[in-house]
Amino acid sequence: MSAIAGPKSSLSVEYNAVAIIVSLIILVLIIAATFMLGIPMALSALIGIIVGGVLIGFGVHFVPVGGAPAAMGQAPGIATGVAMLAGGAGLAGLFGGAWAASQGLVVATVTGAIGGGLMMAITCFFVNVIYVFGMGVPAASGKVKKDPITGDTQPEFKSQGTEGHGLPFVSFVGGVIGGIFGGGGGTLVYMMLLGLYTATLPKLMGSQSVANSVAILPIAVSLAGVFAIGIFLVNAVLAAYNITGTIEGPHDPKFKRFPRDIIASAVASGLCGFVAILIATSIGM
Amino acid sequence: MTVKVEVVEGGVPHSKVMIVGLILTIVCIYLTYLNVLTKTELFSFFGGLAAVAALTWGSSTIKVLCSYGIGTGVPSAGMVSFGSGVIAMLFATKFGILSPIVAVVLAAVIGAILGYVANRVIAMKIPVMVKSLTELAMVGSLTLMGFTALITGSFNFSALIAPNTVLTITSAGLTATTSYLTSYIGGALIATVFLLGAIAVQHPFNACLGPNWTQDRMLMLAVECGFISMIVASLMSMPFVRIDAAIISLIVSIIGWYYTYAKYFELSKRDAAAWLDLSPIPEQEGH
Repeated sequence: MSAIAGPKSSLSVEYNAVAIIVSLIILVLIIAATFMLGIPMALSALIGIIVGGVLIGFGVHFVPVGGAPAAMGQAPGIATGVAMLAGGAGLAGLFGGAWAASQGLVVATVTGAIGGGLMMAITCFFVNVIYVFGMGVPAASGKVKKDPITGDTQPEFKSQGTEGHGLPFVSFVGGVIGGIFGGGGGTLVYMMLLGLYTATLPKLMGSQSVANSVAILPIAVSLAGVFAIGIFLVNAVLAAYNITGTIEGPHDPKFKRFPRDIIASAVASGLCGFVAILIATSIGM
Repeated sequence: MTVKVEVVEGGVPHSKVMIVGLILTIVCIYLTYLNVLTKTELFSFFGGLAAVAALTWGSSTIKVLCSYGIGTGVPSAGMVSFGSGVIAMLFATKFGILSPIVAVVLAAVIGAILGYVANRVIAMKIPVMVKSLTELAMVGSLTLMGFTALITGSFNFSALIAPNTVLTITSAGLTATTSYLTSYIGGALIATVFLLGAIAVQHPFNACLGPNWTQDRMLMLAVECGFISMIVASLMSMPFVRIDAAIISLIVSIIGWYYTYAKYFELSKRDAAAWLDLSPIPEQEGH
């Protein structure tokens, strides 16, 4: 859908005060409702899910998402959409974190962050290899005159009629940072739900004879994993909406929009997390 | 980003597709309840038909939403649809016979709040955003519930986590153990179904968009995508339902897929500017 460009978005970030207040009220109501459930771990799990969701949404803003123009060498960034890119980094992180789940929350989250960052580093590296040696375009940013990290000048490498191409160093670094935030956030959501489910599901399924915390583990792992993927994708797409599809990295003016997404991500992950926590209650059964 | 780049012209209005899709989906999911009433599993295939109906409705919704330049690509709509849908669906399965209704209501609430947040806090300012994300969340949850009913023969949480018997050969002979690892959720089959649906719902509009978009061709492709996902889901249902029920699902899905694929091919020929039946590029000698 990006063949026909919309009007140039203005650089100033627009905030809708009423909507932000309404969202924060919804968030407070969700937290209060979770507290009222009376499950000891529920509130801390919800807070963890919200923090994880916000990390995911914030991380997406660092990732150089190029979209279709990047595939044609007309804009900098990785040539695919946020959903695929964040999904890849997040799931790589989630798998890494899930391997380390038995070692505790901190180790698992850090492992997940490293997994996501590693995945993005490999992606960015090979994207640049293909841009430079395959398409024959140098890495040049269209949004800044100088690379904020290396200080390399950009405009003389930029082809006319394009917004830049390839992945400049700052975009590469942004991609890795984004992967670290995304992978860590996704793993945090997973670990919170896993802890809650392993504690509550055996009691919930107590009528069945094989229900004990070891036998129940596949159910808890799978439920937590599916919910983590769901919450991850919702947050990634909301962040994608916030950057209207493409961003060059942390130096892009669109990066300044991230406060909006933090509020949106907090509400979205709070809502999804609340419903995920309700599974662990006796409601409905 | 509120420029509408394409105009809906001709064809069935989206509201009609939505109402027909919603009713068909709910009715088909409830028809799988005949399994419980007649104590068989032969009616599981209605779950797949429910998913097909929901996916068709979903692709029409994606057309409405993505006609506005949202800038994030069409696949993101499929991902947000199932990301919010899976959460609503899994919780709704705990409500027994009321599950499909609860799934619709809960998904609508989640989708509406997500739409509000996206439209106002993130300032997308797309007129159909709230309505579309609400519909997409409902589509996601109902598709997952349909495929779940197809695979396990039921849409109850207890059936989703019901352990299967595993036969293992040890030195002492053949031993049978029950393990949650072989249940629908424990075996993470739901993750496969998640992506089967998420790709099927976004692909039709992604493939058919453009100046010569026609509604009947896109919806036919959506039905085809639904049936091809249903083929995979029918194969996945073999360990969970009786083999005759699984084979009925497989036959229904293959017939449905073949018919809609042939139809889609015809419609593509109709909409093409020119059609040349070309064999693969011949290997030329001497080059």
